[in-house]
Amino acid sequence: MPEDRRQRPIAKTGGATEMTRLPTQLWVFTFCCAWIALPSVLWGEERPLRQRIDAEVRAAWEREQITPAGLADDAAFLRRVYLDLVGCVPSYDEVRQFLQDNDPQKRAKVIDRLLDDPRFADHQANVWDQVLFGRHPLNPEATRKRDSFKKWLSGKFTRNEPYDRWVRELLRAEEEGSELFYVQFRNQPEEATVAVSRIFLGTQLQCARCHDHPFENWTQRDFYGMAGFFVRLVVLDNGGSGNQRRYTIGEKATGEVLFTGAVKDQKPGQKGEPVKPKFLLGPVLDEPPLPAGYKEPDARTAKTLPKPPFSRKEKLAEWVTARDNPFFARAVANRVWAQFLGRGLVHPVDDLGEHNLPSHPELLQTLTDELLAHGFDLKWLIRELVNSQTYQLASTGPSTEALPRWYERARVRPLSAEELLASFRQATGYDNANPNRPDGRLPNATEEYFLIFFGEPTNGLGEFQGSLSEHLFLNNSGQVWQFVQRRKGNLADVLLSSTEPWEQRVDRLFLSILSRLPSAKERQAFVAHLNSADGKAEARVAEAIWALINSSEFRFNH
Amino acid sequence: MPEPAALGQAKLLWTLPFDADWVTAVCFLGSTRRLAAGNNLGQVLIWDLPEQPDAPPPLPRRRLDGHTNAISRLVATADGRWLISASYDHTIRYWDTQASPQGQETLTLNARAREEAGRRGGKVPPAVEATVNVQPATQVLRGHRDWVSDLALSRDEQLLLSGGDDGWVVLWDRPAAKEQRRWQLPAWAYAVALSPDNRQALVSERRPLVFDSSRHAGVRLWDVTSGTVQRDLSSDFKGIYISAADYSPDGKLLALGRGGEVDGFNGKVFLLDPASPGKPRELSPGHQYGITDLAFHPDGRHLASSGRDTVVRLWDTAAAKVVQEIGKPRGSQFKDWIHAIAFSADGRWLATADMAGAVQVWAFSA
Amino acid sequence: MNPFCSKREHISRRAFLKGSLCTAGGLVVANWGGLVHSPTIAADVERRGKRCILLWMNGGASQIDTFDLKPGRPTGGPFRPIATRVPGIQICEYLPRLAQHTDKLAVIRSMRTESPDHPDGIYHMHTCYKMAERTPHPEIGAMVAKYLGRIDADLPSFVRMGPTGNAGAGYLGPQYEPFSLGRDGKLSYFTTPYVDAAAEQRRGDLWRLLETEFARDHHAEPFASHRLAKERAWRLLRAKSIFDTSKDWPEVCERYGNTDFGRCCFLARKLVEAGVAFVEVGQDNYDSHADNFVCHKANMQVLDPAWSALLEDLDARGLLQDTLVIWMGEVGRTPYINNRAGRDHYIRAWTIVLAGGGIKGGQVYGATDADGKEVKDNPVSEGDLFATIYTALGINPRTKHYVGTRPVWATPEGSRPIRELLA
Repeated sequence: MPEDRRQRPIAKTGGATEMTRLPTQLWVFTFCCAWIALPSVLWGEERPLRQRIDAEVRAAWEREQITPAGLADDAAFLRRVYLDLVGCVPSYDEVRQFLQDNDPQKRAKVIDRLLDDPRFADHQANVWDQVLFGRHPLNPEATRKRDSFKKWLSGKFTRNEPYDRWVRELLRAEEEGSELFYVQFRNQPEEATVAVSRIFLGTQLQCARCHDHPFENWTQRDFYGMAGFFVRLVVLDNGGSGNQRRYTIGEKATGEVLFTGAVKDQKPGQKGEPVKPKFLLGPVLDEPPLPAGYKEPDARTAKTLPKPPFSRKEKLAEWVTARDNPFFARAVANRVWAQFLGRGLVHPVDDLGEHNLPSHPELLQTLTDELLAHGFDLKWLIRELVNSQTYQLASTGPSTEALPRWYERARVRPLSAEELLASFRQATGYDNANPNRPDGRLPNATEEYFLIFFGEPTNGLGEFQGSLSEHLFLNNSGQVWQFVQRRKGNLADVLLSSTEPWEQRVDRLFLSILSRLPSAKERQAFVAHLNSADGKAEARVAEAIWALINSSEFRFNH
Repeated sequence: MPEPAALGQAKLLWTLPFDADWVTAVCFLGSTRRLAAGNNLGQVLIWDLPEQPDAPPPLPRRRLDGHTNAISRLVATADGRWLISASYDHTIRYWDTQASPQGQETLTLNARAREEAGRRGGKVPPAVEATVNVQPATQVLRGHRDWVSDLALSRDEQLLLSGGDDGWVVLWDRPAAKEQRRWQLPAWAYAVALSPDNRQALVSERRPLVFDSSRHAGVRLWDVTSGTVQRDLSSDFKGIYISAADYSPDGKLLALGRGGEVDGFNGKVFLLDPASPGKPRELSPGHQYGITDLAFHPDGRHLASSGRDTVVRLWDTAAAKVVQEIGKPRGSQFKDWIHAIAFSADGRWLATADMAGAVQVWAFSA
Repeated sequence: MNPFCSKREHISRRAFLKGSLCTAGGLVVANWGGLVHSPTIAADVERRGKRCILLWMNGGASQIDTFDLKPGRPTGGPFRPIATRVPGIQICEYLPRLAQHTDKLAVIRSMRTESPDHPDGIYHMHTCYKMAERTPHPEIGAMVAKYLGRIDADLPSFVRMGPTGNAGAGYLGPQYEPFSLGRDGKLSYFTTPYVDAAAEQRRGDLWRLLETEFARDHHAEPFASHRLAKERAWRLLRAKSIFDTSKDWPEVCERYGNTDFGRCCFLARKLVEAGVAFVEVGQDNYDSHADNFVCHKANMQVLDPAWSALLEDLDARGLLQDTLVIWMGEVGRTPYINNRAGRDHYIRAWTIVLAGGGIKGGQVYGATDADGKEVKDNPVSEGDLFATIYTALGINPRTKHYVGTRPVWATPEGSRPIRELLA
């Protein structure tokens, strides 16, 4: 393979491409020696986080006697970091440019560039949108389309607003777009309790809804104590219809959670006793009595509700996002780590209880402390993560785990439906041939189909499973065919219009779709395929493109 | 025969309790003041109605025993002697209402209402008891293998036409009680009617599968003399189940009613000329949730329709207008049904079979 | 065929055409390694035998009008009981052919369940868990596909048609999602290639070359899972002639009844014969809040020949002993007849029927009171029913899976298989 690459003009230049020519074993050796050689006393706390990550991970390898993979080559790195930061594969030009670049700092530079790319904010908003809603949010009529919410969230990432600040705003739900988070829990304060404590605090409270938690400290009273913060929320309809329907979140000044004991002991007609709101493992909320003569407007008919004299929602938003909340920073540090490194240091990411200890306790502590020290600057954290050697390891090696426990090679994750669609567009030059519609949407309900067939590719443990329906769709649907067939300006058209030898056109094909050059064998096979066209070059090119976008190499970020 | 104007005023004379189950069929026995009604259990009672409208509600005199399932239709000869019943028990039975009874029994006509009131802890109404003569049928016709859904007696009383859920339509020699001819439908027979000249029959068809491709609705006019289709009206009534049909006494008009559970007020009456093609006329408003029965008034101009909305409407067919509504919609979300209606031979009285377990007798003031 | 299908109604159906697919297809792709070499999967390949057909009565069939008649009672309605092949067991007169098969049936007249409405009942009676829990429980079809499916088969392990379940494969994952056919049993969208066979072969060859190259040093399981699913999609299309019943249907249509449901039951027979582990066939129209009796009569005239012919054919082919046939819907119907001549949903006392594989036929289990209002003997819960079904199929009802870190069992705690029903 290296022999071949040297023959290609792009690969001739040095830098990281040279590195890839080293045999893997030698690379690993160099990589490890470099780390071992640095005496830890010299590092001190000024070391950038990326180095401390690598040190902690390496220490675990040594302890576990694990041989890590080598660093990913430039092409693999570039594709990975594009997908992770901006949710799309790089373009042909971007790949070419990067592979030709001799700058030893080029990885850090492309990271910086992508972190400033407008797509970064949109992509992070997509990722967090899935965290906050999932594919099947409650109250689906109101929450199925979340454009306004994503716009709100994307704005936060564009301005790099600190995580604690935007979560506070989310829980206040007063900014336009943010209200949709609570809209999904309309009239279901218990569901809000489960979601808020799971997402932001990394705690699994749902068991305590019906009985005291079997292996944690949570009791039903903890659960209903938290529910007390949501019980007064009211979703107000502000007109509009269909997807244009607007909502605001109001808060009443009265209303309590009624607790009836364990579900199995409940009797019909049982009233239940009111439960005071109580912060999880914290104090009962200190709540002043209502002003004498306070008259509550009827929430069922009101268009808006005045702010209550005392707002539980405010108190909750402050408490959740407080610097001294023991759960908050740790939960997000773990979640963002898992977003880029695959497996949470505590896995799964939203179950940080005492029964589920971190694989690298010091590392999680370091991440948490550093995130606090950097004022919840997620962009800073992400920059450190993706600049680490750990993140930049190759995805090759004997392990079959999708998310290796010791991070000895890169994790393998399926592209989300959104990433896959964006990458289909990018790789096949779809948008060059199809000027955007005013709404930016694709024809033939393509987005919806992608959500159906690629939206939920995992089982209850988050493990990927290939599905029959996914491949029937990939094989036989017009929604996929539209990317493959020739249209003026798209990849098929560029390849067919070119007068270059097929060898060069096959290189372009691979760089466009897989962000790398073909191996000798691949090049030979694809050239043979395209050469035997008998005047049916269009069909042959379409077949070649189809084969590449259907490959497992394309289906996953690895 | 009362003038059309007189039909404008209907007065409830009596409510006759018969609450063992839903009352499903009702008919006057010829030109007499005798009234027969049948219910869901297959019981048939006969009342002698007083001539005086202000008389107390009469009690039934006879009970006709033998049917074991719902009575779908009662018809009677003009002399008032013969009552013929069709039932879900697959049979058609002849009853000689002048035969001497076989015995006597005492019934509580409001037993259900009393039981219900007792269970709810409310005031239990006094028992309405009646001692009735009981008698069996003189003839049992077993030509169907499933529910007999409708029955028609020709004007000259020579023919009977029955239709069943077995998909068969059977033409009977009424006096001989013998089958004359039969033909099969692609689905269940729903409503049947015989033209006054004995030559034509209307038969509607259904297979009530809501979401299945083998759902079927059909309406056809048959040549009775040959058992062949004269005219297929199905295309005029696509997907519509016709639950009731009646020819006007002169045979110039055929009335059809849309039945089944239909949305809103779509239980419409349709009028058509049975002799020549043409779009059916539609009468509005329709009965909510569908029509259960239709009966031409002896004057030939007026038509009564009953529905699942507890309402009877009296129509002027020439003007295509409601003359009046008899009864008020009852119940809340869903209404009880008036299952069947019948005019007395002189056209002055109307009887209604009420699902709630009663027969009402209305009089049109002179 | 137009490869586009953009009708919204198709999109809105969740789990639309989601295939059930097992993890490995060792024959074709053994050289890729990974999953096929895992011992559990090797054991899977060895597993043979048990199958399950679910006849799903969508909307909820009326027990009093089918298997638990109450003649002469105010709740009885107009249908009459008839004697059957088994002395002492009477069923509705509109199931005359089935009456000849009661020796194969176990009639459970004492279902007492918890979810009274359609979406929650459909979910509950497909998963034996409440929908409100919001745990992604798998449907019985997915569970059977996972534990009884043949991973070396060309056909999916969980096929369904007509109105059926609403839970999908849940935590078991996309491999076990149902493969849905049309209401008439015809193949649905994206099962017709838009390229000819030669082109399919060419692009497939290119794809395999890429995979082989990539698999050389990329060994993560997801890659293998992707490849296996792709091969399954191709193999399904090669085997798809089984879904075409146009040739053999005329021979059997009289026995099964010339209806969509009859045809789907026939296809179900063909599919289990071909090794499909779970087939669900839905019959609609049961939600008879109005006109219950005409509704049920019409339905039974569709059901009786289809169900009977299915049992006859399975029996004649020696498949019945390994094929459990379940007849159930999400709810029963009220003993009380409402003023629309309808019966509403009822979950306090209703009926489900099991037949075939692992079940002792010719019996009635449990009983209701005189008017059918309450269970008199041996109430059966959703969990008990599923524990019985899973036991009959050789699946441990206490099989444990995980949703995140949380353990979830195939049936709820306290569920017990009903020994009397098991052969």
